Amino acid sequence: MLISVRFHGRGGQGAVTASKLLAEVANSMGYYSQSMPFFGAERRGAPVISFTRISDEPIYEMSQVYHPNIVVVLDPLIMKVVDVFAGVKEGGTIVANTTKTPDEFVFSQRYLNIIAVDATGIAIKNDLLVAGLPVVNTPMLGALLRAQIPLEIEVLEGIVGKKFGEEGEKNVKAIREAYDLATVKLVRGSGKRKYPRKKKIKVEFPISTPSEGVAGKTKLWRDFRPKIDYEKCNNCLNCWLHCPESAIRLNEHVEIDYDYCKGCLVCTTVCPKKAITFEREVFADV
Amino acid sequence: MYEVKILTGNETAAYAAMNSKARVVAAYPITPVTPVVETISKLVEEGRMHAKFIRVESEHSAMAACIGASAAGSRAFTATSSHGLAYMHEMLHWATNARTPIVMAVANRAIGPGWNIWADLGDALSQRDTGWIQFYCSNNQEIYDTIAMAYKLAEDRKVLLPAMVCYDGFVLSHTSMPVELTEFDDFLSEYEPVWKLDAENPFTHGNILPPEDFAELRHNIQRSHDRALKLMKKIEEEFFELYGRRTPLILEEYKMEDAEKVIVTMGAIGSEAKVAVDSLREKKVKAGLVRLKSFRPFPEKELRNLLEDKKVYVFDRAISPGSGGPLYNELKSALAFSPVKRIIPKIVGIGGIDVTKRTFERAIFERKVWIKEVVS
Repeated sequence: MLISVRFHGRGGQGAVTASKLLAEVANSMGYYSQSMPFFGAERRGAPVISFTRISDEPIYEMSQVYHPNIVVVLDPLIMKVVDVFAGVKEGGTIVANTTKTPDEFVFSQRYLNIIAVDATGIAIKNDLLVAGLPVVNTPMLGALLRAQIPLEIEVLEGIVGKKFGEEGEKNVKAIREAYDLATVKLVRGSGKRKYPRKKKIKVEFPISTPSEGVAGKTKLWRDFRPKIDYEKCNNCLNCWLHCPESAIRLNEHVEIDYDYCKGCLVCTTVCPKKAITFEREVFADV
Repeated sequence: MYEVKILTGNETAAYAAMNSKARVVAAYPITPVTPVVETISKLVEEGRMHAKFIRVESEHSAMAACIGASAAGSRAFTATSSHGLAYMHEMLHWATNARTPIVMAVANRAIGPGWNIWADLGDALSQRDTGWIQFYCSNNQEIYDTIAMAYKLAEDRKVLLPAMVCYDGFVLSHTSMPVELTEFDDFLSEYEPVWKLDAENPFTHGNILPPEDFAELRHNIQRSHDRALKLMKKIEEEFFELYGRRTPLILEEYKMEDAEKVIVTMGAIGSEAKVAVDSLREKKVKAGLVRLKSFRPFPEKELRNLLEDKKVYVFDRAISPGSGGPLYNELKSALAFSPVKRIIPKIVGIGGIDVTKRTFERAIFERKVWIKEVVS
């Protein structure tokens, strides 16, 4: 038995921790396990992948997982730029943090099990926030345990409870909630989604110019979308001054550049008129 | 008694330094080895590790501080990677000629520019002539065991050489797996230096040496490397008897009894190579593996015995531009007068390209020397 899991998330959502926690749960239940994160841009919001292998025999593989049994998608919007279904085995499982229903997923495999859960909602509800942003890794692990995997939720709860100290209780509650609320459904594939192809770059000299990164425009990093209420705004430029991404433009009025705003929400905090509010990106996007 | 913990390679190295009773740690952080330094400073702060932690302003100073500590009779430890290791270069030579048995963890990473933080053995392999003993590990348990074994070897009166314990950046440094955190009390006692700086009985250390004496010093270092090879076998046995783990110091063989095509490699990809051998055998290819652990000293005789009459594929995760794969070149010269069928160079995993079992399979079935993409 070799179960391989691939985690997709963004820096700050806890994908790496989730992958390690899963390995710890498996190890404490007597399995061999391995957790291998891949590090690129180690920044909040940047796309992140991590892998976990679980086996009843010693694990010698020291490479990434290309044909996972289970894929965990921690970020609701990452599917727009990353092919999270790539290489997933027939009859495998996708555990998605989403407000959609399992039938709304598009993939080319014949059949996949879709486990859908609004982990961001659960994280917000249970106050699982770091620097104001929801951390969804523990509820996603709760939902993951609804898949065909010989691990017990009580062991996960025990390890998380012990490891997270004061935050343990909240996390354990979120795990149980996600486990209970997740919808599990065997879904038939309905075709292939198209993804932007990676540009092949020829390297002769180590020189480059600024460009849109391989992960696309940074607008996709947002969990929350700030919005300016122009009735209240007096154009004091405080938000423009504080925006770390220079994503607030100066036209006649301050304007948010939604292509590059990463949703850090500094602007909402510094606005003296409280003219900038925010809402969850998944709802704003519709 | 011991506990089993899920640890990254870096955390493992830090725990190994603690349980090997390193008493002075001087280090400067660099990706991907920084968590070793962080973990050690935390262990010292918590009072679990009884060591003096010296914060220095550079890797050059880190090694200089370790040389000083070792000369003063302390067991010294440090960790670095890539550009940090390159910056240490002068002091690496110094540590060897001074005969200071320092042990250093090296998370192997490429050297820029073309900024690259990922696995590549080029950083440590370009230090091969510094006189350090070099071990390349393939999993976290091995990192843990090898650090203790390296002290045992390095501090032996017949050896007295510094040793690097290398492991692939990120592939091992950041990957978590179960590690048995054995206490090494029966295996390794407190450091007993053969000589040490002593204010009561002053003497000079590293003074000017005329040509004949310098030649003798260098010859002795070469002899020590030869003796280290013999001692490694003894240490492997002693370690196995105490802890029941076969942790190789020289090399590891896999399915070599009837092998015709043999993969020779080092580091983490040597673990993946086992999976490749199994897969090749399913395809009726009589494959085998020799994973070299000790690159310095280079176990010529052992390799010659194993590789006689075989077709040898050498997988290098490094390149010496203008020459080729460093391991390939070393092996080629070692096997120069042996009846080896063929020896074929392969360059894989440069700059952190993921090396899968299929990478090995493709490399063996195809003629190309360089594999510059992930074969998934």
